[in-house]
Amino acid sequence: MKKSVVGSMLVMVMLLGLVMGCSTNNNQPANDQPAAGASGGEGKTGKTKIQFWHSMGGNNGEYIDKMIKAYNESQDNVEVVGTFQGSYQETLTKLQQAVPANTAPDISMLERAFVPLLAEAEVLADFYPLLESTGMSEEDFLPGLLENVKFNGQLNALPFNRSTPLLHINKTLLDEKNLKVPATWDELEAVANALVVKENGEFKRYGYSMPYASWYPIAMIQQLKGAFFHAEGTGMGFDEEGVQTFEFLKKMQSTGALYYPPAQDSGNIVNSMFASGQIGMMMESTGVIGRHAGVVDFDYVTAYLPMKDQYSSPTGGANLVMFESSKNKEAAWDFMNWVFNDPKGGQQFILDSGYVPFTKKMAESAEMKAQWEKVPARKVAYEQLEHALDTNNDAAFAAVDQIFLKATEAIMYDNADIRSTLDSFKKEAEKLMQE
Amino acid sequence: MHSKWRLIQSGTSYTLKGVVLLIFIFPFLWMIMTALKTFPETMVFPPRLLPAMPQWSNFVTAMQSGPFVTYTINSVIVTVSIIILQMVIMIPAAYAFAKYKFKGQPLLFALVLLAFMIPGQVTFIPVYLMLADWGIIHTLLPQILPFAANAFGIFLLRQYFMQVPTEIIESARLDNASEFKIMLKIMVPMSVPALATIGLFSFVSHWNDYFWPLVMTDSMNVRPLTIGIAMLRETEGISNWNIIMAGNVVLVLPILLAYLFSSKQIVKAFVYSGIK
Repeated sequence: MKKSVVGSMLVMVMLLGLVMGCSTNNNQPANDQPAAGASGGEGKTGKTKIQFWHSMGGNNGEYIDKMIKAYNESQDNVEVVGTFQGSYQETLTKLQQAVPANTAPDISMLERAFVPLLAEAEVLADFYPLLESTGMSEEDFLPGLLENVKFNGQLNALPFNRSTPLLHINKTLLDEKNLKVPATWDELEAVANALVVKENGEFKRYGYSMPYASWYPIAMIQQLKGAFFHAEGTGMGFDEEGVQTFEFLKKMQSTGALYYPPAQDSGNIVNSMFASGQIGMMMESTGVIGRHAGVVDFDYVTAYLPMKDQYSSPTGGANLVMFESSKNKEAAWDFMNWVFNDPKGGQQFILDSGYVPFTKKMAESAEMKAQWEKVPARKVAYEQLEHALDTNNDAAFAAVDQIFLKATEAIMYDNADIRSTLDSFKKEAEKLMQE
Repeated sequence: MHSKWRLIQSGTSYTLKGVVLLIFIFPFLWMIMTALKTFPETMVFPPRLLPAMPQWSNFVTAMQSGPFVTYTINSVIVTVSIIILQMVIMIPAAYAFAKYKFKGQPLLFALVLLAFMIPGQVTFIPVYLMLADWGIIHTLLPQILPFAANAFGIFLLRQYFMQVPTEIIESARLDNASEFKIMLKIMVPMSVPALATIGLFSFVSHWNDYFWPLVMTDSMNVRPLTIGIAMLRETEGISNWNIIMAGNVVLVLPILLAYLFSSKQIVKAFVYSGIK
């Protein structure tokens, strides 16, 4: 008995030892560990260590690792440690808990709509003096991507992996019916209806689709010269524009011209159906171009989002922010400055990933032009930035977005009355904005 | 007539069992088949179950896309440590709640049940702040310590211990057996099925846990397999589902093995409680 008890105790002690031992890693160099309660610090190699949190998984995660590796190999003073922190929402949650715990990183990727939340909490560093220190200015960035980055006279975020919705088209289907690429809502409706195939009461092909997300109805509201939030941040910025948007979508849905997908995994469903020729056109992010160009067996093209009263497209993706708590702002800026200016930095990441270029220098580079020549669909995304407009710039967006999606579900899935649903949404949203 | 009725009965029984089996097996089958497809095959709509040619290289691609050896070691250490710590705390606690009468016992047991009802999403921020204050946020401990006590396990084991006749314990005491010895030599051997059930549930829930390790860890060096698999997914755009599913097959394999080894004990645990 005593032997077994002693044996058990030994196992316990060994296990706890293992746990404590593993508390400073097994396979990685020990100096990869950031100091607890600090943003970065000095590693054992004498390099200043910079913590960079991001939300890039899959192929894009590999491209971002490649970029960080290239920077670390390019100089001997700073070492950037990139860490995946989950989706954009999960990264925000982690930042919200890390800031009060004093474990925030030096730099982080932050979904563009979440920037106001942290900027208003005054935890983000001002980029104006940093840009000036290396002879840069906000003029170096594409203006369409600087919509949601300035707060209280400070520049709190700079664009990085940015995207915008586009019209993706199966041109082969349009050509079969002698249809032109639609440029207006009316043309879109006519072309989408012409593409519908209905057999024995069942739709075999739909004309048009879009994933389940607020991004797409917001684009349409803006095309009607409305805004999601009022410019002064006093409330919602649309009225009839919202009603017209959903009336248009419901009208198209009723004839099979629009396939509105189920909420769960809608992006994959819509893209799979588009790739299989079961949807003729879709409003989707620039992020999917790489998945269709050169892969699908039809003539694949992209175009501007069709206009109503004006062309307009919101932007998406994420920006880079630096935390005011960072003890190594200079080193962190050295990395960011390299990302913005070195061809192996952000430019290579954009070429690899397919996000839109974010600096003027990048857009004018020979490498980018060569890629546009090869994949013209990407150039359309860049050109459409001329009409980029973001009207969801409010700290309450994350919360308002959730109830907007509920209203969308009620209208698109349950045929709820459009006007009354949007009225109740607006009341609830304005309450949230005042909190 | 009787034999015809019996034939119908057994036919219906087998059909229903087959349907239930299919419902449970289909997601696993889908996962394995997707893991063997090419990327364009995952994009075909309507989807097809079987790949044209099995792509075993998807498993290599998935495992080479990150430090999966580190992730696996971390998952094993975290899960095994949690189970051992839970057993060490749960067995004496359940024994005390089942066989001792002491002041405040109902209140303390109610507190255990209360802990059982609070989801991790409610407590993670204060727990994170506390652990960050202790300076252990860059270790494996934040994934282990908050789960050292298993309220559900204490509850289940207490119910099991209560069914052990008090006479057995009293006769052991008459033979001068210590309380520690009674617990280890009488209560534990009689409760192996319950302990196996609790162990398996705990193993599955912590091996598969994504949310807690994500919010509690800031460095890839201390992260488990679940986060490694989640990293295979694109944040925006279309993911390589064939690679993600190959990673998932690797993730669920230990769970299936653990179930194979403990399934007999689990069935016993349910049968035993059913008879009683």
